[in-house]
Parts: sequence; structure tokens; C-alpha cells
Amino acid sequence: METRKEKTKRIFGQILEPFALGLLALLFILPAITVINLTPITNELKKLNVLGVTTQGDVVINLVGGSHEIFTEEILNKIDDEGYDYSVRLNKRGADSYSKPILKIENRTEEAAKIFFFGQTLTNTNSTISMIIDKEHFMIQNSKGETFDNEIEILPGQNITLFLALENLSGVQFSEIFDLSIKIR
Amino acid sequence: MSKLLKRALKISLTPAILMVAGKFLGILIPTLMFDIEFAVQNEMIGISSIQILYPNSATTLFINSISNLVMLVLIAVPTIYLIIKTSLYQSTLQNPRTIVKITKLNILNWITKKNSSFLQIFIWSSFLLVTASIIIVHTIQNMTYTWIGVSSGVMAFFCIWGTIRTFELEIAKIYPEEKNYY
Repeated sequence: METRKEKTKRIFGQILEPFALGLLALLFILPAITVINLTPITNELKKLNVLGVTTQGDVVINLVGGSHEIFTEEILNKIDDEGYDYSVRLNKRGADSYSKPILKIENRTEEAAKIFFFGQTLTNTNSTISMIIDKEHFMIQNSKGETFDNEIEILPGQNITLFLALENLSGVQFSEIFDLSIKIR
Repeated sequence: MSKLLKRALKISLTPAILMVAGKFLGILIPTLMFDIEFAVQNEMIGISSIQILYPNSATTLFINSISNLVMLVLIAVPTIYLIIKTSLYQSTLQNPRTIVKITKLNILNWITKKNSSFLQIFIWSSFLLVTASIIIVHTIQNMTYTWIGVSSGVMAFFCIWGTIRTFELEIAKIYPEEKNYY
């Protein structure tokens, strides 16, 4: 004869059984999903830099971000305390001029900061690449592929936005990577 | 609730924890050892809600390969151990020559029925299969070194074969073949 306690235990066990089966399935699914989640990636690294990076001297460099048809895959990496690398993919384009705000630089120190720029593309597509800061153009690479060093000064508390400008007289049918080295002193 | 289900739940906990711990330690140890820069990002991309970011693809490939290898070893070693242990145990019951060999090797204490059953081998092999599947998919996507993908495939194959062999031995205990009577 089944006692009341045994009966309750049996019914409780029957109710629990489907949940236990679900739990068993979860024990297989959850580690698999966790492992997939923990898989490291590189292609989303650009998002790491959206919030900006700060130097020891408190000169803050931020990616402006946003989407653009020609300028894509923007990445800003800190190399050391004073150096940064910015890269962008310049997609295939027609003969025209294009520009996009790429970086915001803020000098939070009490002294003026000097910023040095040097940039180039791996292949020469007869495009002129320049930087526009406060309506002033700074040539980075001319249509012959020659590169130029540039230096700007940011006053204490000053905020500047860097625009990358691109001009080509004929259409470019493939994409290319443009790298820009930034040094803060 | 059936005893089988209770036991299955109990057995599944260890490989589930080891799988995640293996992946996590496999990422953490080389990152700290080689002082590699990394970042963690929370964004919903498919089923992924957390992303571990590395500065270049070579580093990502290295870290992912090492973490997959650690995860594979942590799951594969106990599975192989259980299969060998159970197979030897079953063999000692049927073949006196195995007992002699085991005695010569002085591993009689090791070959016991304790902590080894078909259910345990089946669950561990299932986890190994899940692990191997993830690694093979990563290898196809060029996210893991090829030799790790091949090793995981070979290990999974042998563990499945070992599980089937153990199942056959367990079945033979219940329904012995006629030739064993003569």
C-alpha cells in the first residue's frame, strides 16, 4: 500500500520529469552557446574605439564613426602612449570629390599639443588624399602617390574635427586601404 | 523522476563546466602569458551577446586555436580514459589473458566498475561530439588551425567508435552470443 508521502513524492517526480529533460538538453545547449559566444573576433575591433582612447597627456582622440558609402571599416588603434594608427577602406568610386569627418581630437591639457600626421595607400589610384581641419587643407598623398608629413597645433581645451578628403579625376574600380599614423607630442 | 534521468543530469554537469572552463582558460592564459591586448564588447550579433576582440586576425586565430585545443583536451582525455577503463573491465570479465596482462602491468586497482558506465561514456562522448563540431566549423571558417580541426575530428570518430563498442559489450552481458555457451 502506497503511503501518502510516497504518493506525493511519485507525483512530484512525474511533474519534475519534463523539466529535468529540458534541463538535460540545456546542459548541452548552454555550454555550446557559451563557447560560441567566447569565440574571439577581430572584425568588430573598430567598435572598441568608438568611445575613444586617452593618452597620458589627456589628448583624447575619438572616432567620429557613422556610415559612408566610400569610407568604410574605420579602425583606430593605440600603438603606444603617443602613437595611433587609423585605417579606413576606400571603396570603389566614380570620378568625384568625397569627404567624411573621421576623428575628433580634444586637448584636455594645459599646454598646446602638436599632432603629426603621415598617411598613405598601398596602391596608387591617382587619387588625391588630404585632411581638412577648420576649412584648411593638408595634403597627405597627391595623385602621383607622393606622401607629405603634416603637423598641426591644438591649443589647450581646443576641440578639432578632422575630415578626410578624397578626390579622383577618373573612376576607381576597386577598394583600397588608407593608413594614417598619428603622433602626439 | 527516473533514476536514469537524475544520473544523466549529475554526469552532464562536469563536462558542461569543463567545456566552458576550457574555452575560458584557453583564452585567458595565452592572453596573459603573451600580454596580448584585447577588449570585451557587449552587443547582440546573432546569438552572440559578448565579443572578445583582438587587434589582428593572426592573434585571433592563435587565441581561438589554443582555446579550442584546451577545451578539446579537457573533454577528450576523460572520455578516452572512461572508454579504455570500461573496455578493459569488460574484457577482463570475458578474457583471462587480459587479466594476466593487467596484473603484469600492475593496474588491477585501476580496472574497476566504479565510476564507469555506458551512460557516463555516452554523455562524455556527446559533449566531445559537440566540442569537435564547434572546432570543425571554426576550422572550415579559418578561425582555427587545421591540425586542431583534424585532431578533433579523429578524436570524435574514435570516441564514437569506443562508445558503440562499449554499448555492444553492455548488450552482450544482457544477451550473450550463443557461441559463448559452447
